[in-house]
Amino acid sequence: MIRFEHLSYRYPGADATILQDLSFEIAEGEFLLVMGPSGAGKSTLLRCLNGLVPHFYGGTVSGEVLVDGRDPVALGPRGMADLVGFVLQDPEAQFVVDRVEDELAFALENQGLPPILMRKRVEEALDQINIAHLRHRSVSTLSGGERQRVAIAAVMTLQPRVLVLDEPTSQLDPQAAEEVLDTLVKLNQDLGLTIILSEHRLERVVQYVDRILYFSGNGQRPILGEPRQVLSQVELTPPLITLAKALDWSPIPLTIKEGRRFARKAARHRPDGNKAPEATPPSQRRNDQPPVLISVKGLGFSYNGHPALQDLSLDVRRGEFVALMGRNGAGKTTLLKQLVGLLRPDQGRVQIVAPTSGAAMDTRKASVEEIIQYVGYVPQNPNALLFNDTVRQELDFTRHGHGLPPGEYEGLLDTLGLTEYASHYPRDLSVGERQRVALASILVAEPQVLLLDEPTRGLDYQQKASLVAFLQRERARGRTIIMATHDVELVANCADRVILLGDGQVVVDGPTRQVMSESLVFASQINKLFRDPALLTVEDALSLYATDAS
Amino acid sequence: MFHTLTWVLWLVAAVVPAFIMRNPLYLALLLGATWLLYTTLGRTTPMGSSWGSFVKLGVFLFALAIPFNALSIHIGQIVLFHLPESWPIIGGPITLEAVIAGAVSGLALLTILVVFAAFNAVVDHYQLLRATPSFLFQAGVVISIAITFVPQMVISAREIRQAQRIRGHRFRGLRDLLPLVIPLLANSLERSIQLAETMEARGFGSAVSLPSRRRALLSQLGLLAALVGVLVGLSLLAFYPQARVWAWLLVAIGVIGMLAFFAFHGRQVKRTRYRRQSWHAPDTVVAVASAISLAIVIVVRLTAPDTFFYSPYPPNSLLPAFDPLVGVALLLLVMPVLVAPRGAAREASNSEPAARDMEHVA
Repeated sequence: MIRFEHLSYRYPGADATILQDLSFEIAEGEFLLVMGPSGAGKSTLLRCLNGLVPHFYGGTVSGEVLVDGRDPVALGPRGMADLVGFVLQDPEAQFVVDRVEDELAFALENQGLPPILMRKRVEEALDQINIAHLRHRSVSTLSGGERQRVAIAAVMTLQPRVLVLDEPTSQLDPQAAEEVLDTLVKLNQDLGLTIILSEHRLERVVQYVDRILYFSGNGQRPILGEPRQVLSQVELTPPLITLAKALDWSPIPLTIKEGRRFARKAARHRPDGNKAPEATPPSQRRNDQPPVLISVKGLGFSYNGHPALQDLSLDVRRGEFVALMGRNGAGKTTLLKQLVGLLRPDQGRVQIVAPTSGAAMDTRKASVEEIIQYVGYVPQNPNALLFNDTVRQELDFTRHGHGLPPGEYEGLLDTLGLTEYASHYPRDLSVGERQRVALASILVAEPQVLLLDEPTRGLDYQQKASLVAFLQRERARGRTIIMATHDVELVANCADRVILLGDGQVVVDGPTRQVMSESLVFASQINKLFRDPALLTVEDALSLYATDAS
Repeated sequence: MFHTLTWVLWLVAAVVPAFIMRNPLYLALLLGATWLLYTTLGRTTPMGSSWGSFVKLGVFLFALAIPFNALSIHIGQIVLFHLPESWPIIGGPITLEAVIAGAVSGLALLTILVVFAAFNAVVDHYQLLRATPSFLFQAGVVISIAITFVPQMVISAREIRQAQRIRGHRFRGLRDLLPLVIPLLANSLERSIQLAETMEARGFGSAVSLPSRRRALLSQLGLLAALVGVLVGLSLLAFYPQARVWAWLLVAIGVIGMLAFFAFHGRQVKRTRYRRQSWHAPDTVVAVASAISLAIVIVVRLTAPDTFFYSPYPPNSLLPAFDPLVGVALLLLVMPVLVAPRGAAREASNSEPAARDMEHVA
């Protein structure tokens, strides 16, 4: 179906080739996963398939690509549109028309198909992607997952034989990502459509894909092969596979179901001498506890009559690392904005206690400027923050806003791994680096309490791991952190308290181990694998079983 | 319920009298006809919700026009009261005539707004965009994208504003807007590039076949000649009224040349329309009624220009004149209400019933 022959490509103005002498074939009906760190050439490879590279980007190509006998380099994206469907990362930026049905027809109108055929194709695409109920909706009212499915349907109307998706779920929360990936699996299995997908969320798709193409970056040749074979050579993988490799489980389990078999065997041979870490922390006496920094009492808030938070109460003490979890629309972001004074309570009150003086500020009376002396908030989208010419100016801007003199940032930039980018234009950096610049530009004001909103969205495993390391260090230094996230593994690795929100109310509030082991949805992979409240992370499991394995 | 073209014709037939008439009786008749149209057909459509704000604006302008005129124009015999002469502009007698004249101007503004509000309620802007002729389709796509972009821009702007505030930035002067404007622009540009990619990947632009260089040049020269013809014709009309016939002839030839150019260009675009609206018998009825109404108004305007004119100031009478023919013309504008299929309003909210959808497929 698709054949690469000695393909090399260099972006205009770049020193090195990003794709170097690639030769391989993709069979018809194959589901190929393209993975690897950001910037390693995944997107470039995908864009070669429909001619966006080099027609849209310029640059120099050598070698040949053939898709079903057609040459995208010669024909360009317009000539490939009916053969290769292409879906991008950002669900916001792919729509020409505001109404779902018309958006689906857009590509067909461009091809000049007769109206009767168009009607048939649109109906079929609506059914294939299962979005017939959205047909009259306006795109701006759809959720992220629905938008991505509409984007897929909009290319399916052309009845392509190959579907290419460039990180279609990286901007989505896990539930929405699941919707999109399930759709792809269905298209591949029911229609035999050839699918080429680049994706960070391996744990969702790895059991369905036929082969994996791994770009390691650093100019090394990509690896292509069966999932198990490739994953055994790759360093950063989902916890299940990391653990399987560490304990030499073979063949490598791709799903929890497969992993359970090994886990049960391991549990039987569990060495008695090694006790699992305490499931619940020893209870402390009340007056030993550090002081309360944030106190929320009976908080209620609604957006234009839609209640977002209802009668919510919680206290956060100094040095705690709290994870706010819950489905979309449960009120996580609203709560964070309440804590930093961007939103004010309709009912109840939010108090911020100044750690030095112990004076309490009511957010209804204090201004945002006063609150941000103590509370820093990193919004979901780092692009909302960054606008200066260099990373250093970005940090200066925050210092200035806080009325502080420009400082030395070497320490901060170093811990975030940004030293080499200090004089780069922040928007040129990768998603993970941008996220860290945003973090730096809030931390530079030294807030006592740090609020994070979905800090791992769009990050690959490498970037996630470095964020986890950074957050663990910050917690050790005694900074109070409250983080809204969907990322169960991140919570398992960092947080010591989980607050589960539902419908704007606190559903569960307790230590991470306890909450996770009692929940099926909000449990980490390792926890699901062993069904043991003592084991949440790979490190937990390894500390218990390492001697066993040796 | 009706074809978009039918509604456009109706809009023209309703807006022209609203613009040229100052007679309160005609205006009230037109207002009444439009109001009836909205209450029977427009109320239940999704776009109908914007009606209220249009009407509010109209009523506000109406209420503003009365004191404005009454205080600034001091002509008339029926004096209501006096303001001290020493007050600039507003000083002097306040007359009933000036009050009435103000009310009539306000009524005209209100009528224009209500006509557009009713049109807006029965035709949504996507239908209108679909109706753009094919030589303009690129412009149509640009407008469509802009409409799709706006809600995203608003959300994005709010996000950025909040993000900069929590970095301690205060928006006070114009210069302080930079931290808002730069990321907003950068975000929009990044999105535009992505959108361009997806459009390209979906074959946008492949529908335009480029004519040969010579034919393209010829057609452009033709358009230039046509434009020059229209220009010369119009200047002849203005400066040499005796050469009237020749001037009109030139204008006519120019306009025909332009239409030919557009038709030629439209044919270059090999693009089809999804879900063409179909033209039914009621469309013909409404279109003919609108055309007759418009023709009567234009003919009356050309033959007896004073008919639409109304001034309450002496020596004129306070009572406006009324020509039954014009009244009939305006009443023809209620035609959509009379011939609309039953349940049309309900249907409009769903753009087309599902049953008819399936027929088309078969």
